[in-house]
Amino acid sequence: MSLTLRRVEKRYDDFTLGPVDLSVEDAVTAVLGPSGSGKTTLLDVIAGFEQPDGGDVLLDGRELRGLAPEERQVGVVFQDYALFPHLTVAENLAFGGDEDTRIEETADLLAIGDLLDRMPATLSGGEKQRVALGRALVSEPDALLLDEPLANLDAPIRRRLQRDLRDVLSRLSIPVVYVTHDQDEAATVADSIAVLRDGTVSQTGPVEAVFAAPATPFVADFVGVENLLEGTVISAGPDGTRVDLGWTELVASDRVAGPAVTVGIRPADLHLEPGEADPDRDNAIRGTVERVVSQRTGSVVTVEGPDGTRLVVRRRETGLPPGVTVGSAAVVTVDPDAVILLE
Amino acid sequence: MSTSPSFARRIGADNLFPLLGGLLVLFLLYPFLAFFLRIEGVEPAAFTAPDLVSAVRYSLTTAPVATAVATALGVPLAYVLARREFRGKLLVDAFVVLPLVMPPVVGGAMLLAGFGTVTPVGQLAAAAGVSLTDSYWGIVLAQTFVAAPFVVITARAGFEGIDRNVERAARSLGKGPVETFLRISLPLARGSILAGVVLTFTRAMGEFGATMMTAYHPRTMPVQLWVEFVGRGIDATFPLAAILVAVGLAVVLGVRYFGQQLAFPA
Repeated sequence: MSLTLRRVEKRYDDFTLGPVDLSVEDAVTAVLGPSGSGKTTLLDVIAGFEQPDGGDVLLDGRELRGLAPEERQVGVVFQDYALFPHLTVAENLAFGGDEDTRIEETADLLAIGDLLDRMPATLSGGEKQRVALGRALVSEPDALLLDEPLANLDAPIRRRLQRDLRDVLSRLSIPVVYVTHDQDEAATVADSIAVLRDGTVSQTGPVEAVFAAPATPFVADFVGVENLLEGTVISAGPDGTRVDLGWTELVASDRVAGPAVTVGIRPADLHLEPGEADPDRDNAIRGTVERVVSQRTGSVVTVEGPDGTRLVVRRRETGLPPGVTVGSAAVVTVDPDAVILLE
Repeated sequence: MSTSPSFARRIGADNLFPLLGGLLVLFLLYPFLAFFLRIEGVEPAAFTAPDLVSAVRYSLTTAPVATAVATALGVPLAYVLARREFRGKLLVDAFVVLPLVMPPVVGGAMLLAGFGTVTPVGQLAAAAGVSLTDSYWGIVLAQTFVAAPFVVITARAGFEGIDRNVERAARSLGKGPVETFLRISLPLARGSILAGVVLTFTRAMGEFGATMMTAYHPRTMPVQLWVEFVGRGIDATFPLAAILVAVGLAVVLGVRYFGQQLAFPA
């Protein structure tokens, strides 16, 4: 099955979605974008809660435009779960399809069999989320939409449910659209990604491809390429592309057309060494350690370059390397393969 | 604004609100006590006087009908006002509330202008054998006009309190708007709707101003009470007042109780 959006548009007084082109096969596509980028509006249009002002929504070739939500066979899992508070878990599950075996299978799949007699108000957030997913699955939808389904959960539960969701969703063999603003969640749950910005799709593709080769500085920033630096290409050859940042030069294996580029480097691809930089060494930037923040895994170090530009370095180890302290000079290095060039 | 700290300390800030509130409770309670304490004795026969029995009968047969009409049309209106945006909604909103803020006597005058015997509507109804003034239906008309806003306003608040996504979820699970309303919206708003129905019924039972204009005869309890008062003084109103207070009290307590019983935690 496939879900296809062709030139879908929805106009409001202060916001316009689209035109959006999107194709979702029998796999999970994460729609990734900041709040206000139109993610929920996009789901509303697919689910039929909102009618688009233009374009087509096709589910397996069937035109959905003009159909009421109940005529679409599109399941929806809401961020606030939207369970029926006056019905038990079992009644919630049976609302869209009362086939006993199907309800049993779904309850088993999501490990909610022991919750069936409970009322929604007595469930934890994670349990509510699983019941909400189960309720949508029992109705055997032709496509499934999830709107930030884990956003209201605590971090540890969220991480576990991300993996659980991945397992469940990948077995469905229907198009799944998974809306999130969290790049890690998108990477964990989805097969492909569509990055949404100001109502339009900035980039689509398999998760790995989008993360490895973001097409624009916005996408790069959104998929965790935190170091974005403006520069000019000064030479391009078989050894790579040399970019002048004004205060230092970088060599990238990547290629790019225009002379004006944005250089993107993930914090984890930057490495920190003590001492002064050798001016003849490529991709070694001298700077001053400004700050270090320890995290659950490793640390995040901010280094100030000679012109005041700040570089974010993520280390696997906690603290700073030997010989480096806050306020001391240090060298930041990067492999040319890890330098992303964006137009 | 300036408050004297020494005064606040003396009273104790924690006690200030109970004190102010207590004054109001006292003010509300006092007339009840004064009224019922001045009664020196009532003949049981007063409760079976033909005029009183007739008034009770008319009140008890008209108010439920007015409430039913107001509910049957008011709940759908409440849902539309809660869920849809349309041109002129603000105006519809205002007209729904208007009977609440208008003196009921004015409402009665307007009803006479619209449904009186010499009006086209009144004549049409008369031709069909139904009199819209000074009749059973005249009472229902006045009661519905004055009391309907209660069920609309209360039910609307109930519908607005329902997470819209809960209704959307039902739609996405294949249920049409009517089934979604009956199985989701209505049960979830039932506490508010019931409260509205009960308030409407109480208001209809107590309706006097508009009823006096549209149907001085046959008399309902409030009209009969007025007639007794004008003719025979305050003590003569006791039996009817006692019945109306009892009904009112039962209803208010009932709303409180069922309102809590029927609410669903989100």
